[in-house]
Amino acid sequence: MSELVTTVSSYQQAAAVIAAGADRLYLGEDEFGLRLPHSFAREELAAIVTLAHQEQKKVTVAANAIFHNDRIAKIDEYFRFLAAIGVDEVSIGDPGAINVLRRAQLNLPYLYDAADLVTSSRQINFWGKHGAHAAVLAHEVPYQEMMPLSQKVTIPVEVTVYGAIVIHQSGRPLLDNYSNFVQEHLDRTDRQRGLFIATPHHDETHYSIYEDRNGTHIFANNDLDLLPDLPKLWDLGLRRWKLDGLFADEATFPQVVAAFAQARALLAAGTATAADLAVLDQTVQQLQPAGRGLDNGFFDLDPDEVK
Amino acid sequence: MLTAVKHPEVLAPAGTPEKLKVAIDYGADAVYIGGDAYGLRSRAGNFSFAEMKSGADYAHQHGAKVYVAANIVAHEQNLAGAGSFYRQVRDAGIDAVIVSDPSLIETAITEAPGLKVHLSTQASATNYETLNFWQNEGLERVVLAREVGIAEIKEMRQHTDVQIEAFVHGAMCIGYSGRCVLSNHLSLRDANRGGCAQNCRWKYDLFDLPDLGQKRELVGHGPDGKAEKFSMSAVDMSMIEHIPDLVEAGVDSLKIEGRMKTVHYVSTVANVYSTAVRKYCADPANYQLDPAWVDELWKVAQRELSTGFYYGTPNEEFQLFGQRRRLPHYAFVGEVLAYDAATRQVTVQQRNNFGIGDQIEFYGPNFSHHTQAVTDLFDEDDQAIDRAPHAMQVVHFTCAQPVQPGDFVRAQARH
Repeated sequence: MSELVTTVSSYQQAAAVIAAGADRLYLGEDEFGLRLPHSFAREELAAIVTLAHQEQKKVTVAANAIFHNDRIAKIDEYFRFLAAIGVDEVSIGDPGAINVLRRAQLNLPYLYDAADLVTSSRQINFWGKHGAHAAVLAHEVPYQEMMPLSQKVTIPVEVTVYGAIVIHQSGRPLLDNYSNFVQEHLDRTDRQRGLFIATPHHDETHYSIYEDRNGTHIFANNDLDLLPDLPKLWDLGLRRWKLDGLFADEATFPQVVAAFAQARALLAAGTATAADLAVLDQTVQQLQPAGRGLDNGFFDLDPDEVK
Repeated sequence: MLTAVKHPEVLAPAGTPEKLKVAIDYGADAVYIGGDAYGLRSRAGNFSFAEMKSGADYAHQHGAKVYVAANIVAHEQNLAGAGSFYRQVRDAGIDAVIVSDPSLIETAITEAPGLKVHLSTQASATNYETLNFWQNEGLERVVLAREVGIAEIKEMRQHTDVQIEAFVHGAMCIGYSGRCVLSNHLSLRDANRGGCAQNCRWKYDLFDLPDLGQKRELVGHGPDGKAEKFSMSAVDMSMIEHIPDLVEAGVDSLKIEGRMKTVHYVSTVANVYSTAVRKYCADPANYQLDPAWVDELWKVAQRELSTGFYYGTPNEEFQLFGQRRRLPHYAFVGEVLAYDAATRQVTVQQRNNFGIGDQIEFYGPNFSHHTQAVTDLFDEDDQAIDRAPHAMQVVHFTCAQPVQPGDFVRAQARH
């Protein structure tokens, strides 16, 4: 059993990533979900659910925001809508939303996704005991930690294998605040504006930063690409893989999905070679937008290197 | 008409056994400390189990409580031994542990029965459903995210009876606590396991890539005309001017940040907040903010002060940009060992260099104050000296007003 989960930015892209081999689509609206390529209106969402189900694919809807009182009060109605249109799963990162979902007694499983906070098998199993049927592993968990973790988990674990990695979420409008202080206003501070920050003495670094209704978000210097490392994940049994197209080129992202789908097919057939994967990875690298690097994040880090 | 109201707890930080005693002596109703493991302040002076026990004994003798912060987000290799750690904390007489990782919460509850558990602010609890979730799990208290406002706390109070703890003073994370791994990625130090390198306080270049990856710097200029880089550094929090709002909103515990801070800071801040809360709760109708409390807090301030998210989303004035205002800086110079009313001689153990001519200030629990110049100074052999330069040196000098053993002495630092 393996699953390729991909973000979706439009109906057309949904059709394209399904054709490219995605098994599950990940999307939502930014009132409830975090860092999405597009904030879908409800009728758009329903249309994509219909499309996915026609193709025997599944849909996960993001409800993983950090909710304040005003928005937690709306989540029950949203869950009921999602259940009514046949959504297969919601992602949740705020335990308050789990409380609401339990009470609603809907046929709507949840995936626990609290970004960087899910770092151990015992925590994953905690959420499993509380009804989660899968959990998203933090990007800061290296392969060496995944090895023992994979032996102990009682529910499937989703590992991000491609895309931008969030490293900071602030409730403050950090770009607007800076802009107001210097009185030299940025015309826009949203994701499409394409702003970056570089760390002191490292001019070559480029951390994406943007604001939306959920605050300010900052991303790792390079996007993640674990395509060459997929055999290791496969062997550990960590086979639910997420591709996040937040900063990917909308038109070519399905080709990235296709490369990962081909890699997955080779692994399933038991015929994957390093050379095959290198060729597929070359495709991923070539499709990467200008100005955005790729690396494998914390995957190869010795856990002792992190203080 | 307002009558006496429920007295919320003033919760102070205590990085060492000495600070624990000082915080309690200076009015804190409870203190929080760190153990040798599972805490987020790896550089604070953390407590052994024996020190926890003696600290808890001291607190309980004075009607106070001690909590242990064990709020890391555990990785696979951190899990072994957690149950034993919590049992030893419980057996040391600690009143509760402050935890954020659900796996450690479960461990504390199942493997150390009887130990009370509080949800750490690192879990960023921001709504009443989340509070109820954790209460259903058996937690006694939730420490709110710093992003929650007064109006939101009032609304929470109508939907939950779990104890609510809220930060009222000290440094703040610029991001949602727990949802920041800048330090992991920029410095290979795990922010959620005690290694935060405070990368949010760095100065960053802001830029875009308009022409196929060609970098274009976006440099702003401050009001002084100087180039100003992008930064995420928050000013500190102070809610001393809003104690009635916090009490009336239903906050059960007012938390002061700063397990890394000095005895001077802990004594001053605990003193001010405990005095303000006591006065408000005793007679809310006639309560007035004493400007001296505000002055007192500025004496130990490290940054400018703000109300955080309590009254709305913080704007640029709540962040550190441009030239910082010069803050008054006071040094902690000694502790009173004895006072002889007949000779008006005070005996002081030195903590920082001071001497004749310095303007000094005595302060003690219950907000007692006395300011004077040092006009004479004698060492332990009654030899006249000009200054007390040695750490822990015992000296005596004339003090015009009675002071108490345990009172502290501060002096304005010379810039």
